Amino acid sequence: MDNSTPDMSERLVLYLDGELSGSEKKTLEQQLAEDKTLQGELESLQSTRQAIKLYGLKQKVASIHGQMMEELQAPVKKISSVSRMVRYSVAIAASLLLIVGGYWAYNFFTISPDKVFASNYRSYELVTVRDGGNNEASVIEEAYKEKKYAEVVGVTFDRPFTIKELFIRAMSYSELADNPKAIEAYKKVIAQNEGAKTNTFKQQAEYYLALSYIRNGDYDFAIDLLNKIQDDPNHLYNEKVSNKLIRQVKMLKWR
Amino acid sequence: MEPIRNFPDSELVANLRSGIRMDEMIKAIYRNHFDSLGWYVMNNSGSRQDAEDVFQEVVVAFIELVQKDKFRGESTVKTFLFSLNRFTWLNEIKRRGRALAREEKYKREQDKVELDTGHLIADREGKAEVVRLVGELGETCRKILLLFYYENLSMKEILETMHYENEQVVRNKKYKCLKQLEQMVNTNPALKETLKNLLHG
Repeated sequence: MDNSTPDMSERLVLYLDGELSGSEKKTLEQQLAEDKTLQGELESLQSTRQAIKLYGLKQKVASIHGQMMEELQAPVKKISSVSRMVRYSVAIAASLLLIVGGYWAYNFFTISPDKVFASNYRSYELVTVRDGGNNEASVIEEAYKEKKYAEVVGVTFDRPFTIKELFIRAMSYSELADNPKAIEAYKKVIAQNEGAKTNTFKQQAEYYLALSYIRNGDYDFAIDLLNKIQDDPNHLYNEKVSNKLIRQVKMLKWR
Repeated sequence: MEPIRNFPDSELVANLRSGIRMDEMIKAIYRNHFDSLGWYVMNNSGSRQDAEDVFQEVVVAFIELVQKDKFRGESTVKTFLFSLNRFTWLNEIKRRGRALAREEKYKREQDKVELDTGHLIADREGKAEVVRLVGELGETCRKILLLFYYENLSMKEILETMHYENEQVVRNKKYKCLKQLEQMVNTNPALKETLKNLLHG
């Protein structure tokens, strides 16, 4: 359908978008009340906008559908934290295979996961707290402070890592830009805290996990986590999660 | 670790209506309702794939209805979704020409309270056609229109992600893209009718 004049057509679009000023809006509404053709033209634009909204909604649900079907394929049973870790690790590994292929294509765009990551990432500085002369622990801490990250992740003990050590390992994987391992390690920090009902480096791990998800292309996971941090005024990283950051991740998702 | 939360109906509906934390809300719908709704389809001659496809349609339809204020808490979300799921699947069976309606009718009679949402389900094929048509738009146009009309980003925010000189250039481009899609819609009367129904239905 043709709008009567280009000027009128543009004004109708501005009206549709809610961008006409008070008096312009009033004038147009008067014209609309008197002119059936014009009403039809507005309806045509509204229908077109409806088509876009439907497309957007369908795309959004479709993108979550695949992810949820993967999650819901597993038999419904009580999930232990260990099997949950295994499941997430498998999911991450599987999505990585898909994501890595397309990763470099993002360089064509101004905004990229790396840029968003880099502008929000700060190396974590460890506060020196002696763990009762625990030499093993200090090996990891010292290596981290000296920025020998490959050395940090190479250290093994005959015992499980403490939460702090897990966090240092996670940070080191971030420094080494090894996203899958960083994600796995941050999730361990969070899971162990939840298991033990503690809060040791948990909030730090949540923030850096969100950044790792961004760098890894797992935007849905990242958005969920960033929303959670933003909704919690007491979260250590609450102020770091701005609306702009969340918007940027959404934009990356539409690529 | 992906935080998993359940939401009361009121919070879920309020967030869907205002488009807040959509991903989390949609995931909550899947986690809470896919098993039982999928079971219904699979126990009425549907395959797992049918159950998935129908559920996806139901989620889209539910969000549209909530955003148009057509769901006002007359029933629980669960009952409402169940009803949408049932009617979507019945329509699909009819479309496929299977003679399952009788069996289903018997089951329906057993239900003392039946929420009728049949009239709320818009034409499934028509909607698929709308999606196909928008998919035919050039990628740049589709992206600008989605960012503006679906994600509700401002021109300034869109400018940040795209290679244009200034906001006015983005605005002009968006206008041209909208008019282009409008023309595409207007060459297809059936599709135009579907959209009209979606708009006013």
